[in-house]
Amino acid sequence: MITDDDFLPDLAERPWLTRQRQLGIAILVLVLLFAVVPIVTAPDPRVQDLTRVLQSPDALHLLGTDQLGRDVLARVSAGARLTCGLALLCVLTAACIGSAAGLAAAWCGGWVNRTLATVADMILAVPVLLIVLLLVAFAPGHLLPIYLALALSMWVEYFRLVRAHALRVLASPHVESARLLGFSPAYVTRWHLWPELAPYVGSVMVMGTATAVLALAAVGFVGTGLRPPTAELGLMMSESFAYWRDAPWLLLSPVAVLVAGVVGLALTTGLGEDRP
Amino acid sequence: MNALTVENLSIRHQDQILLEPVSFTVGAGQCIVVLGESGSGKSLLAQAILGLLPHGLAADGSVILKDQRFDAGDTALRRQRWGRELGLLPQEPWRALNPTMRIGDQVAEVHALVRGRPWAEARSTARAALADMGLADEYRSLPHRLSGGMAQRATLAAARAGGASILIADEPTKGLDIALRSRVVDDLKSVMVAGGTLFVITHDVQVARDLGGEVIVMRGGQLMERGPGDTLLTAPASAYTRELLAADPASWPTAAAPPAHGDMILAATDLAKTYDGKQLFAGLDLSLSRGDRVAFVGASGSGKSTLGDILIGVRKPDRGSVRRGGGLSALAFQKLHQDPGAAFAPSLSLARALNDAVRLHGRKWQDVRQWMRRLGLSESLLPRKPAALSSGELQRFALLRILLVRPALIFADEPTSRLDPINQRRALELLAEVAAEENIALLLVTHDPDVARAIAPLRLHLPLTAQ
Amino acid sequence: MKLAPILLRRLIQAVLVALVISTLAFFLMRSLPGDMAFRVAAGRYGPDMVSVAAAEAVRAELGLGRPMLEALGIWLGRLASFDLGVSFVNGGSVAAQLGHELGYTLRLACAAAVAAFIIAVPVGVAAGSRPGGLMDRGSLVVSVILRSVPPFLMGLVLIIVFSLQLQWLPSAGYENRGSDILPALTLGLGLAGPMSRIVREAVFQVRSQPFHLFARTKGLGARAVMLRHTLRNAAVPVVAYSGTQLALLIEGVVVVESLFSWPGIGHALVHAIFARDVPMIQGAILVMSLGYVALNALIDIAVRVIDPRVEEPA
Repeated sequence: MITDDDFLPDLAERPWLTRQRQLGIAILVLVLLFAVVPIVTAPDPRVQDLTRVLQSPDALHLLGTDQLGRDVLARVSAGARLTCGLALLCVLTAACIGSAAGLAAAWCGGWVNRTLATVADMILAVPVLLIVLLLVAFAPGHLLPIYLALALSMWVEYFRLVRAHALRVLASPHVESARLLGFSPAYVTRWHLWPELAPYVGSVMVMGTATAVLALAAVGFVGTGLRPPTAELGLMMSESFAYWRDAPWLLLSPVAVLVAGVVGLALTTGLGEDRP
Repeated sequence: MNALTVENLSIRHQDQILLEPVSFTVGAGQCIVVLGESGSGKSLLAQAILGLLPHGLAADGSVILKDQRFDAGDTALRRQRWGRELGLLPQEPWRALNPTMRIGDQVAEVHALVRGRPWAEARSTARAALADMGLADEYRSLPHRLSGGMAQRATLAAARAGGASILIADEPTKGLDIALRSRVVDDLKSVMVAGGTLFVITHDVQVARDLGGEVIVMRGGQLMERGPGDTLLTAPASAYTRELLAADPASWPTAAAPPAHGDMILAATDLAKTYDGKQLFAGLDLSLSRGDRVAFVGASGSGKSTLGDILIGVRKPDRGSVRRGGGLSALAFQKLHQDPGAAFAPSLSLARALNDAVRLHGRKWQDVRQWMRRLGLSESLLPRKPAALSSGELQRFALLRILLVRPALIFADEPTSRLDPINQRRALELLAEVAAEENIALLLVTHDPDVARAIAPLRLHLPLTAQ
Repeated sequence: MKLAPILLRRLIQAVLVALVISTLAFFLMRSLPGDMAFRVAAGRYGPDMVSVAAAEAVRAELGLGRPMLEALGIWLGRLASFDLGVSFVNGGSVAAQLGHELGYTLRLACAAAVAAFIIAVPVGVAAGSRPGGLMDRGSLVVSVILRSVPPFLMGLVLIIVFSLQLQWLPSAGYENRGSDILPALTLGLGLAGPMSRIVREAVFQVRSQPFHLFARTKGLGARAVMLRHTLRNAAVPVVAYSGTQLALLIEGVVVVESLFSWPGIGHALVHAIFARDVPMIQGAILVMSLGYVALNALIDIAVRVIDPRVEEPA
């Protein structure tokens, strides 16, 4: 309230790479390594061995075996791979479409803006998981409807964010100056708009990855997503729940990977970085 | 009787001294004015008296309210005096009112909860206090419906409702139009007449002059000069105070008569614009020639900036037309913004921003070099981002970038309102000089009639009344 | 902005949502393998009673034999007359079944919302009042964890701890006493995580506003400032944000009902997808989406009640 801005030492300035973000990024790197490294080191996740079911972890099977004698480490790793790939694909698709639509709405205004806003409004009126379930019903057990549904429902967030910030920046004196000086819309978009939008888009992408990861696991868990024998984290949890007394590692392994991934994403977003 | 005494009050951040020890005394019914630019430490002094320093800053010395001595570092005891003895009149008072509570209730709650009166009585007292301030009809208004001046008076009523006789006023005229300044000074004077004590911090020499009383001049955390206002403000002892006084627009020389008319660059006919249901102007004819210096003067909301935007083609008029003079492109009409920091893309260095403009218009970097010398800008500033430059430097860079496209007209929209008085004078004089040298027409928008008088021989007052 | 245009906007949103969902459901039905008429007839009259005549009657009634666009028109026309059709699986009226299930779902959702509110508001206010304090940092850690644990996992953990290990509470169904505690707690904890941070942020923002400091320097005590100035202003963003929270609640309902075999709409939807019972899928998604739009309209109204500025523009 009473401030002498120029005078006060800057007590609030903080680097972007806080300890919290370092921790988050470290966790994400570990999860990615876990998803990739076992391709070469672990057995084939599809191979069953009915003579060795529900084995405790040992030297051969680092996380034990499941109810069909498959290697748990390999299966969880395969599930993590699938989840990461789908989540990244969804987020990239949604971010590209949403950002482009947001920029178009902000620059053009008029009917382009109104049409896009109405479409976005309509998609927002349906929770993400319901869109996923509706499209999943078309082709149960397939990845494509899940991907389409997630991308379709997630672009709206980028659209609204980019449009709101772009409108603010387009009304700012530096854009007015640049336009008066004869700079083109492409130049203004690249050098005036995008640097201000990118941090917001980036953090929504990190949050959106978590949304996609959890949605895939949720449809898998309730049994409307991918079908056995696919190694998918949510599906593995619901399958292994029945054996949790005899083989707790069977349930705990996919749970640990999923939670680690989402916690890593949450820390990287800068959750709770709200200034004290 | 002494109402407020400060003894050896100093402020530090770790080992760094932010404010050298200050001592002063004010009697009941009197005022003390601290005059200084931003960064002088005057706000820190006010915060320390209230016991409100930001986290990490420490105060030493004593604050004495009437006859009670408080250790400056001990804030808890002074907080208990808030409202009852020690009140704050915050800067930008429209932000100091609870946006979801009605004005009257914000005054009445003090009578009820601080003074312990029954609610019915508190409400009628609040109603009377608002009526005294000329706000009889605003008891049930929400803050966003009040004008700046009304909000200022409402906060004054609320700040004093608890019985506080010592008021700390923080830049009471900041953000208010010149016309409202004298009203605020009158309100503050009436506090003194009623026996109240004022501690006022301001950068406005005129406010210090009108309030009377003792004046302290500060700069960079140090006390430069002190003394009774009527002598200090007429015959200052320190060089800094002299400079500060000379920067007051009221003391600037009046602009010379307009030069001979050059080529016509712009002709507007029958312009009209309505904003938010209010007609800003109608039937306005105006023509500008090379070398003209014109000022649009008026209060905020009078449409002076809108008119400037219409003339350079950034906005469209509701009616009428603007015609550019022979062979001039839209590029010939440029604008200097109010906040120079906002006129550059935050992520581009100055060198990059200028180089892009040079390349776009086929100029040479040599032109930039020449202008930097002329405008007194150091090459060492070029690699920096806009946020790392001062307002004064950015305003000169903004001018430089405009000069690269060889404009015929520069529309300067309150270009110095973010600058200190001393820098304001330098910046405006430089702008007028460059415009004269390059034969550029200058269109200045300002709320300060003194600034307009000093820069522009031709002045247009908005709203258009007696034309 | 007046209230009427906002409600009109929500109404248009609802109509568009219903149209799109119903159209998708129509194409879903067309995409199913086999003769739709026989499928519907089997649902209505039981698999043994299906005759060619019955199938032909159904075909005529539903316009199955007609061109695509015309059939779509008939399909949407039935929706416009609030006819959700009959289930492919048991031949019962979809509307009647959903009405029955909605009661259970609402019971669960309300219990969860109340639980979340009771946990999140005090925690968020305490954390926002002392930013960087023990409560703030502690609740941040808990909320990051709660946010990272999806509802089905939270439910699993609660079942394992309270139902299987401690055997305090039933893990499934709805008949037993205390059977709604675990599902409601699962949903409520999931909501309380993000909600407590929203409350914290709102309280923190209000406390850094000039008017908050001015209220203190007027002489008001900390309690009076909190009750009279902080809470109401902080409530505005909290209520406005609760729309997003409702999406979490609805998604959680689907998952948690399946996990706990709770006889609500979410459970019914998952079963309908297994059985590819299109009328039921359409009905369940319509009810939940339109409910979401209606609740958002209520939030629009609530924001206006809390924030008088909206009603009295400058």
